[in-house]
Amino acid sequence: MICSRNLEWGPCSRPLTPPLNLALSAGTVTAVLGANGSGKSSLLKVLAGLIRPLAGELKIAAAQLGATAYLQQHQALDRQYPINLQHLVDAGQWRSRLSRTERRERLHAVLVRWQLIGLESRPLSALSGGELQRALLARIDLQDPRLLLLDEPESAMDESGQQLFWNQVKRWQNEGRTVLVVCHNHIAVCRHVEQALWISAECCQFGSPAQLLAGRISTLQAA
Amino acid sequence: MILEPLWAPFFEFAFMRRALFGGAALAASAAPLGVFLILRRMSMMGDAIAHGILPGVAIGFMLAGFSLPAMTAGGLLAGLGMAGLATWITGRTGLREDASLAALYPISLAGGVLLLGLAGRRLDLMHILFGSALAVDEHTLQAMLLVATVSLVLLAAIFRLLMFGSLDPLFLRGVSRFGPMAYGLFLGLVVINLVVGFQAIGALMVIGLMMLPAAAARFWSLNLPRILCLASAIAAVSVWLGLLFSYYAGLATGPCIVLVAGGFYLLSVVFGRVHGLLSRSYPLYSILRT
Repeated sequence: MICSRNLEWGPCSRPLTPPLNLALSAGTVTAVLGANGSGKSSLLKVLAGLIRPLAGELKIAAAQLGATAYLQQHQALDRQYPINLQHLVDAGQWRSRLSRTERRERLHAVLVRWQLIGLESRPLSALSGGELQRALLARIDLQDPRLLLLDEPESAMDESGQQLFWNQVKRWQNEGRTVLVVCHNHIAVCRHVEQALWISAECCQFGSPAQLLAGRISTLQAA
Repeated sequence: MILEPLWAPFFEFAFMRRALFGGAALAASAAPLGVFLILRRMSMMGDAIAHGILPGVAIGFMLAGFSLPAMTAGGLLAGLGMAGLATWITGRTGLREDASLAALYPISLAGGVLLLGLAGRRLDLMHILFGSALAVDEHTLQAMLLVATVSLVLLAAIFRLLMFGSLDPLFLRGVSRFGPMAYGLFLGLVVINLVVGFQAIGALMVIGLMMLPAAAARFWSLNLPRILCLASAIAAVSVWLGLLFSYYAGLATGPCIVLVAGGFYLLSVVFGRVHGLLSRSYPLYSILRT
């Protein structure tokens, strides 16, 4: 799904990490780990095609429009914007060619799945951070993307919201979608994700989250 | 009939009828554009474009005399140039957009007024700046009706693109390639609405007719289509009442229309159901109104 060779990225010709060689197959869930400012969000933006890499090759098998869904780190939405939750979520069917009835049914199913029933007519200003985040994830769900790039998706969510999120990630994986998720909750990552990418200015490492985090702790102790 | 003064001037004088039809149609298409300017936080851009039109109109007049197509073309080029220049300066330098716009529009206002002065006394500066109902002849009316119709049709066609382009541009980039095209078309519509409005309503006043009803309408609803319709309605009613006011008081048309729209705005600030002062201080008020 994603194949990169000597990929470098960062602001103004100053790469944040050593060149990255990465090969992720379809239907995998990968956590992107690293300290603040190490370049996790920028990497997701490069993969989403929002910013250009500085150097290297990048091949993504979901390059056509609508096949990649990207969730921003901080909800940059204007909360005063005159739109309600249902219309926000329904925009996920932007490129859908289904009939009106089918679209309504899909929308309803997604609202049920993300526990948003009863909030449909709420304006954005009346939603909590977690509710808005669930709505944005529901919109991505409706988009039916093959590659999902999620930047700290569960940071605004409570316990049950996080549980719901990780369950849906599992479902996405079972449906053969590829998921990359930036996450600072290492306990959740170790529990729900099988592979991870550690990013820092010194190195880019790939492996199981538990291994990477254990290695990280030992280097911290050695220092 | 006691209400007759509200209609009589329009039955009596053809020029008042033309100003009413043209002005109301243009108001109905300009106000929704104003709503999107506000939602994009580009209120200042409208201001800058409105001022930027002036030198273009003046140059059009100097080159071709009092010809509507020449003055409109000049205004259109200058307005688009102004929008492009402001965007370019913001993109290339560290200056914020509001500052670059605030720097540009006094320049074009001063330049426009001087150019109009150079063009000689045949052109009444007051009419260009503040509008005159008398200026709406048959050709101007046709231009206003055409621009209003085309604007509303195009606006309906790019509605969703504009909505998500202002709410969530990154999402729009992920699902559609037409975002930048819709934005360019939108700016073009803003410019042409302002240009066509300058004769009847005045180059400096037409921006008020675009923004005030839009700002007022936001106080009444959280539903975008409803806000757009309400803004159109407020703007059209402002044109009608403003024309009457200017007719009976013998005052310039543009300021009368804009002051009526300003009245609607102030009423909305106090009584508005969504963000209004009363609904904030007395929550019961907003419940009663729903």
